Amino acid sequence: MQPFVDVSKHTSNRTVFRYLIPFGIIAFCVLAYFLSTQFDRVPPILKRGMQPSDFPQLIIGLIIILSVWLIFRDNDKTPKRMTKVVHLTMGLLVGFLIIADIDLFLGLGLFATMLTILWGERRAWAIILVGLFVPFSVFFLFDSIFEVRFPRGLLTNIWYG
Amino acid sequence: MINMDALLNGLFALADPYLLMLLFAATLGGVLVGALPGLNATTGVALLLPFTITMEPIPAIAILTAIYCAATFAGAITAILINTPGTSASATTCLDGYPLAQRGEAGRALGMAAVSSTIGGIISVVCLMAAAPLLARAAYNFAPPEYFALTVFGLSMLATIGDGSPVKNIISGAFGILVATVGIDLLTSVERFTFGLNELSEGIPFVPVMIGVFGISELLVQADNLHVERKQVVMKSIRLPNMNDYRKVWKTILRSSGIGTFIGILPAEGATVASMIGYNEAKRWSKTPEEFGHGSLEGIAGSEAANNSATGGAMVPTLALGIPGSPTAAVILAGLMVHGLRPGPTMFTDQADFAYAIFWSMLLVNILFFFIGLWGAKIFARVTFVPIQILWPIVFIFSIVGAYALEQSMMDVWIAVGSGILGFYMRRYGFSVVPMAIGLILGGMLETRLGQSMVMLDEKWWLMLNRPLSLFFFVLTILALFGPPVWDRIIKYRLKRKVAGK
Repeated sequence: MQPFVDVSKHTSNRTVFRYLIPFGIIAFCVLAYFLSTQFDRVPPILKRGMQPSDFPQLIIGLIIILSVWLIFRDNDKTPKRMTKVVHLTMGLLVGFLIIADIDLFLGLGLFATMLTILWGERRAWAIILVGLFVPFSVFFLFDSIFEVRFPRGLLTNIWYG
Repeated sequence: MINMDALLNGLFALADPYLLMLLFAATLGGVLVGALPGLNATTGVALLLPFTITMEPIPAIAILTAIYCAATFAGAITAILINTPGTSASATTCLDGYPLAQRGEAGRALGMAAVSSTIGGIISVVCLMAAAPLLARAAYNFAPPEYFALTVFGLSMLATIGDGSPVKNIISGAFGILVATVGIDLLTSVERFTFGLNELSEGIPFVPVMIGVFGISELLVQADNLHVERKQVVMKSIRLPNMNDYRKVWKTILRSSGIGTFIGILPAEGATVASMIGYNEAKRWSKTPEEFGHGSLEGIAGSEAANNSATGGAMVPTLALGIPGSPTAAVILAGLMVHGLRPGPTMFTDQADFAYAIFWSMLLVNILFFFIGLWGAKIFARVTFVPIQILWPIVFIFSIVGAYALEQSMMDVWIAVGSGILGFYMRRYGFSVVPMAIGLILGGMLETRLGQSMVMLDEKWWLMLNRPLSLFFFVLTILALFGPPVWDRIIKYRLKRKVAGK
């Protein structure tokens, strides 16, 4: 006897994604098309073969046609559920962007530390290597050798004065 | 015809000890990149690109191509020793490499992979030296309509990239082209999709997007693979293949080198497709096809010679026409543009010394990775065991600093992270990120050439079809897009009729 499998949830998920993605793309394209109608138009004397909105609209049209095709002919399987770690990693990325506004290297150090811990690393030397040693080394490598000026922030101000 | 002066000048450029040292380091780095979990040639080149910005064009592009060649080869090391292809181009090497390694013949398998890769690589670079100037010469008289049609053909080949849906690949490519329209229109100087942000007026920069879609999206993919365990086989000693082995496989190596070079030259088709076809052809022509999948040296030779020869092949359209021959070549093309170089026919007249210096450096790298890869295989095999929870946070730090360093703008950091998250979701739902990256690179060129064609043809686009070469490229485009599904249907119909007849 076959084990009982609740396929209803899977099927409904599949149906949702089957239509959600092409419709989402079409909605994006409609918005992009609307934005393209707001571009300035140039007089015929300055026109170089096309108006500025012509080419984007051509591409948007192509994407819409292909997305409509996708509604009827998408045979791809629904991907399996994302793990909690993926969600949390994405959350860390967003957190990094927020902290990077205060200081880029503070954001990098914290992100690297949290990520290595989230992914299961518990050894102190590894956490210090990833969260402290590498960001510091990368900062001095780029600042001194590649002469990259990093944005001023909480920590970089200490170096830049 | 080959420009002998440029050929020699290119060779003399390699006499610079600084360049030689860089090439050695890049080859070593490339082999490491190919062996590290989750990293491949495309990601490696995208991550390294910002580091090359302060360099002169020859060393900068030479080390990018060195990473490309070496990482493509290094995929075989992990394929043979731990049954995990370091790059997708080595997937077929696993089929015979790992069974050989399990029998205690890892050295023989690695030796065969190194020899086949080196020969394949050298043959393809020689073809590159001969074919690229010829192709450039043929393209020298192309007018904008021909260029437009050629670029459309190049983009149509994106449909067949990877194993995903062709429609999704084209949507992804078209999205890349749409992203390329952000910024000030080059033809009319009108701002488009900038939302009043000054940072966007010059358009979405290639490098942060490449770093995002190839590097940061892979970090999220790796977050899903934390449970994967890697087991290494014991490699007692490196026993190289003997003369009998070589005698058995030399035809396979030559055949696969030819296949790989040809596949590489086709726009967008890279080492992965080449290795699959090379492997299948090796099996088809073999006297012992039953050994394939159980540890056949011919299988390794067929796959490795093909994937490495595709690297040289892929550089032919990249340098001669400005159309990338593979995903990694697309990133190298972005690198050429960032360095202010103009890939295309003029490269072999205006920058011929540069082009030949790159060819020679690729030739040298193909010889270098033979020694580095073969004698360092044991060490590189250990590299594969670097825990990903240490590796990927470090990769992220380099990705972000690399994205920032180019324009020294925080906007680029946002673009890199945004592209990474977008790339992850695209991959999750079957949209390859490679067409998007190539679309972004070629988008500007495509629009400019369409605009120039419209001016030239008095805004009558249909006149493009009156030009034989443009028509030829459009016919090729239609064949590339509709040929495979029509062919599939014909085969299925014939099979049905055959079954019904029985």
